[in-house]
Amino acid sequence: MTILESAATLRAKKISSAELVEGSLKRIAAANSELNAFITVLEGSARKQAAAMDAELASGMDRGPLHGIPFAHKDLVQTKGVRTTAGSKIFADFIPEEDAQVASKLNHAGAVLVGKTALHELAYGITSNNPHYGAVRNPWDFKRIPGGSSGGSGAAVAAGLVPFATGTDTGGSIRIPASYCGTVGLKPTYERVSRRGVLPLSLTFDHVGPMTRTVRDAAVVFHAMVDNPSGYIPPAQVDIRGMRIGLPENFYFERLDLEVAGAVRTAVQTAAALGARIVDVRVPDIAALNVVGRMLQLPEATAVYRRYLERRSDFGADVLALLDQGRLISGADYLDAQRLRRIFVAEFAKLWEQVD
Amino acid sequence: MAAVLDPPIPPEDVEKIVPVVEALEAAFRPLQRSLPHDADVWTGPAE
Repeated sequence: MTILESAATLRAKKISSAELVEGSLKRIAAANSELNAFITVLEGSARKQAAAMDAELASGMDRGPLHGIPFAHKDLVQTKGVRTTAGSKIFADFIPEEDAQVASKLNHAGAVLVGKTALHELAYGITSNNPHYGAVRNPWDFKRIPGGSSGGSGAAVAAGLVPFATGTDTGGSIRIPASYCGTVGLKPTYERVSRRGVLPLSLTFDHVGPMTRTVRDAAVVFHAMVDNPSGYIPPAQVDIRGMRIGLPENFYFERLDLEVAGAVRTAVQTAAALGARIVDVRVPDIAALNVVGRMLQLPEATAVYRRYLERRSDFGADVLALLDQGRLISGADYLDAQRLRRIFVAEFAKLWEQVD
Repeated sequence: MAAVLDPPIPPEDVEKIVPVVEALEAAFRPLQRSLPHDADVWTGPAE
C-alpha cells in the first residue's frame, strides 16, 4: 500500500497503526539478514508509539497523512536516545541528546520510527559497502549494490520493509540509490529541508529528502519535512499540456546504457503525447562542474572530520583516502571553486527559465 | 605539504593520494584561469 492508501485505510478503521508497524517489523526481521538495510531496529519503541498513535486517532486527534505510518531514518539523522552511527566506527556508540529537526518534524507528524538504515560510511561514497556494518544488498538482486550513500533507505523502501525513509544527498546520495533500487528519491532545493541535527558530510552541499515508492508519497513526506509546506499533492492524473520539459542535448545521453536511454526516450514520447512541449536544452559543462564540486566537497568533508584523523584505523580505506585528499586542497583553490560555483549557478538559473 | 600535516599522512598513503589530487588540480587550473577578476564567491542559495 502507498502512504495515502494506508492513511485512508487507517481512518476507515480497517487497519491500525499497530498492525502496520507489526507488518513492517516482521518484514524487516525476515529480510534484513540478507539485505542488511538496517543498522538498528526499534521494535519496542515502535510498538509503543504505534499504540499511542492509534489511541490518538480513536480520540479524534489526527496529525495528518503520516499519522501512524511506519518509516525509517538514514542513520545519519540524529535521533534522541537512539544510537546514530553515520555508518562509522567513530560514532558506533553515539547516542544523541536531541532529535534532528527533520526527525522532530516527522515525529510531530505522527510517523512511527521503526529503525535506522545503513549507509556508506559517513555518507562518503555511493556503494553502501560498509566495512564496519557490512554491505547493503540490492533487493532486486543480492549480488548487486543498492547505490549510496542512502543505500539502506533505498533497499528498505524498494523491498517494502517501510513505506518511506529519509535520505541525504551531497553528490547523489538520494538520487543514486533511488535509481539503483527503483524508488522515488527527492533531493529538494538546498536548505528547503533543515540539515540541523543531521551529521554533516559537506557543509555547503548536504541535502535531506524523502525516499518513497511513489511520487505522491514523496510529496506527502516532503510536506511533513519542511517549514511552510504548500500542501500540494499531485493528482493521480496530472495535466501536463503545455508544460515545457527540457531534454538535454549534451552529456546525459553520452555514456548511457541503451536500455536506460530507450526508457527515457519512451517517457519523453509519452509526455509529448500527453501534450507536454519537449524543449531541447544544453546543460552547463557537467564535467567541469564535477571538478569544481570535488574541489569543494573534499576540503569541506575533511574540515568536518579532521579531528578524528588520529584514529586512522577506524576509517575504511576509501573514506580515509578522500579525507586525506581534502587536506591537500589549498584555501585559495577552495575559494576559487566557490567563485566558479556562483557562475555555474547563474548558468543553471538561465536554463531553468527555458523549462518548467 | 603532506609531510607537515598534523597528524601526518603516512608515506605509503601519500603515494596513493597525491596523484589523484594532482589530476584534480590539473583539471581545475584551466577553469580557475577562466575566472573573471571580479567573480565573487557563492555564499548561499538566497543570493
